[in-house]
Amino acid sequence: MDEYIEKLMKAAAEKGISEAEVYLADSDSFRAMCQQGSISNYTVNSTKGLSLRGIVNGRMGYAATEAFDDESVDQLVTAVIESAELSEEEGTAEIYPGDADYPDVNNYKEELDLVTPQEKLDYILAAEKNLLSGDDRIKAATYNMISTASAGVRIVNSRGLDLSTRDNYCVTFLNALAKDGSKTASAGVLKAGRTFDPENARLSAEEAREKALFMLDAEPVPTGEYRTIFDPYAMSDLLSVFSVIFSAENAQQNMSLLKDKEGQVIASDKVTLIDDPLLPGGFATRGFDDEGVRTCTREIVRDGVFVTLLHNLKTARKAGVSSTGNAHKGSYSAPVRVAPSNFFFKPGEKSLEQLMEDMGSGLVITEVSGLHAGANTVSGDFSLIAEGYTVTDGKKDRPVDRITVAGNFYRLLQAVRAVGNDLVFPGSSVGSPSVDVGELRIAGK
Amino acid sequence: MLRQDTAAAVLEEALTTGGDFAEIFLEDRRNNLMTMRSGRIDTATSNRLHGAGVRIYSGVSSVYVYTNDTSRDGLISCARRAAAAIHDDNETFRTGFADTERPDNHIIMELPGKVSGQRRAEKLRAADAVLKTYPEVVQGVISYSDSEQRVWIANSEGLFKNDLRVYSRLSVNAVASDGTENQTGHCSPGAMQGFEIFDRTVDPEMCAHQAARIAVTMLHAPLCPSGTMPVVIDKGFGGVIFHEACGHSLEATSVAPGNSEFAGKLGLRIASEKVTAIDDGTIPNEWGSENIDDEGNEPTRLVLIEKGILKNYMIDRLNARKMGMGVTGSGRRQGYMYAPTSRMRNTYIAAGEDSEAEMIATMGDGLYCRSMGGGSVDPSTGKFNFAVEEGYLVRGGRIVQPVRGASLIGRGSEILMKIDRVGRDMQMAQGMCGSLSGSVPTNVGQPMIRVTSLTVGGAR
Repeated sequence: MDEYIEKLMKAAAEKGISEAEVYLADSDSFRAMCQQGSISNYTVNSTKGLSLRGIVNGRMGYAATEAFDDESVDQLVTAVIESAELSEEEGTAEIYPGDADYPDVNNYKEELDLVTPQEKLDYILAAEKNLLSGDDRIKAATYNMISTASAGVRIVNSRGLDLSTRDNYCVTFLNALAKDGSKTASAGVLKAGRTFDPENARLSAEEAREKALFMLDAEPVPTGEYRTIFDPYAMSDLLSVFSVIFSAENAQQNMSLLKDKEGQVIASDKVTLIDDPLLPGGFATRGFDDEGVRTCTREIVRDGVFVTLLHNLKTARKAGVSSTGNAHKGSYSAPVRVAPSNFFFKPGEKSLEQLMEDMGSGLVITEVSGLHAGANTVSGDFSLIAEGYTVTDGKKDRPVDRITVAGNFYRLLQAVRAVGNDLVFPGSSVGSPSVDVGELRIAGK
Repeated sequence: MLRQDTAAAVLEEALTTGGDFAEIFLEDRRNNLMTMRSGRIDTATSNRLHGAGVRIYSGVSSVYVYTNDTSRDGLISCARRAAAAIHDDNETFRTGFADTERPDNHIIMELPGKVSGQRRAEKLRAADAVLKTYPEVVQGVISYSDSEQRVWIANSEGLFKNDLRVYSRLSVNAVASDGTENQTGHCSPGAMQGFEIFDRTVDPEMCAHQAARIAVTMLHAPLCPSGTMPVVIDKGFGGVIFHEACGHSLEATSVAPGNSEFAGKLGLRIASEKVTAIDDGTIPNEWGSENIDDEGNEPTRLVLIEKGILKNYMIDRLNARKMGMGVTGSGRRQGYMYAPTSRMRNTYIAAGEDSEAEMIATMGDGLYCRSMGGGSVDPSTGKFNFAVEEGYLVRGGRIVQPVRGASLIGRGSEILMKIDRVGRDMQMAQGMCGSLSGSVPTNVGQPMIRVTSLTVGGAR
């Protein structure tokens, strides 16, 4: 690719692109699924994508390609110029020359790339077998998947920057379907990490089985206000969706109510939110962001006080501050936006059991779904299908499903009564411990 | 493009380890996206996707390998890697390619790639000018996206076809604010059309009015009460209810392994007799239409439910083998990065005979959903949820006030039986549907319908 990049940068300079940057992403991935003892899906990929962005007359233009022939060089350069000419964003375009040094981050584990396809197939076959061999009421593994990927990113620009990083990971998901008479329930277990652990085939099966069987007797609770705790899985999902409210880009575009709120109290004093790009083994652990700016760990909310929005170079320049190293591209071809790295509620002192005891009676929500439709990140409103269990006399009681939990994320932050000590990152870069969020509106029967 | 001699060599390589069916899918796609925020174009991007995937079956097992390297050597190597995962003793020979013409039912007048940036920008400005007339609208995000997807599909049974799919879509999102609260409204119409979409189908100004109206209405709306109540769902995007609550459970992906709540129910009543539902890939220039599906199969108009009785499932090639049934032109995929599977196209509840005014007047106390957001479903249990973008409280058969933050939840098999009114005017609306084979354009649709009781999640 070196030769191609060189040719491209040369063509860009010749055509009048004053500063240019190449973002190259490559990925080798494997994915397999199994159903009823046979492999139902087996996918292998090897792909590369490249995007070029460049400044023409002070404006940024973007183009991307997956074809690397000579024709594509001209296409990219022409498209970047056209794109820049159309842009009406003036005075904020910047190609970064780089920092003096970068944190040393290593996310690549060679052992994982050496795991053979057969070992991965054996894993999902074993997971299904384990799942079905415990209880007759478990009828199927409706989704049983393993996926591994090894992916690299390289950023090269005309101001001398040349950074690269590589990481790999393994994700498995096992979903159990339980039936007993007319009752059905399904429960999934996701495992994600930077190692391949055959033992997870047994652990996932046990967890999925136990959860599905427990949920078989689930009923909605009567509609009303309930004291509510979100467990780490449910809270991580909610925080993940609403993490965009901390983006300076959203705030500058009136898409976040945190605009101009730095220094103000926006949450209960129990809430500290951390963005930690240096978290060992994290899914968004990185020494530089997607513009080549060095990263560092920071508190976004400290004891309820809003410290800072997350910035990239463009939003920082508009606001007159420095980039926080949160430039993010959703894919190699996407424009640079803003996103948190490893983002989580700082854990507190108490276990989930202690939080339940303190609550006395109420609900623990273990799963929320329909987030892409039921959560509005602009207003903060959410109304989500949920499941979990009731808490009576401080103890886990009866399973609950087919309820909705509704509220507003901004108000929820203010209503937090306690944060647990059980921090989990369930398969993504957003994590949470259990959080007692006070009273919420539940719709059920 | 894909040459016939290259395709032949790739398919022969793919069958060397005992596979009994092989297919190659090559894609070259150009996407343009232009976005305007705060009245200024902040991004205009173009993206070329290019790659190919080779699929091999051995019985009901399937292997899929994809790559960006579409040189002859690259494709043969891709086939070799796929074949390496098959160990069978079938002796399958490739059939010579038949001279297969695809139908061209969706005429494109003006390819979007040939339209200048300035002409596209004008459409965004027209929508933005309308948003500016609403004082409470503090932000508009308007985007126009288009796509030209060229595909070549060849398989070991002698199929060799190519197709061009052209899509255009406008999207207007409005944010209304009073300083402490924000509310949103959106409108995003699209079609399998080129730039002529703005002459034929989409009016940017009307679209902006709709997005702004919803955002402003909801800004002044109190929270929706929660509970179980009768619900009327308006025509158009209201069809997302059928898409989520029933459509996904009729895809072979969940029927073949027996995971769907509708598996084994062909010929049985699964809905009230008011309900007839269709999945149709043949409607000219509609968002979810096709000339051929992503396996090269001919498009169909498929009756899913007729007067409440289940008639057909949506079936792709692999699941057809598993189920011992025929394909229905439903094999779809986002692109070369996905193996195809059974997916919806233009899926809707057909027009009935009930009056819209009567169904609200006789509903008592409940919720009227004028505009829906998206939703999701777990096909194994049929549990669904979807968001109400614009809802109104009904008291004693009269619409009394807008309410915000509502969602509808329930189970597919229950809601279908509880539909007691189906209106006369069917309309469709556009969405992107995500599933195993990626994100594909699908239409949802229905006339206004009434459900006798549903759980409404609200914050009050």
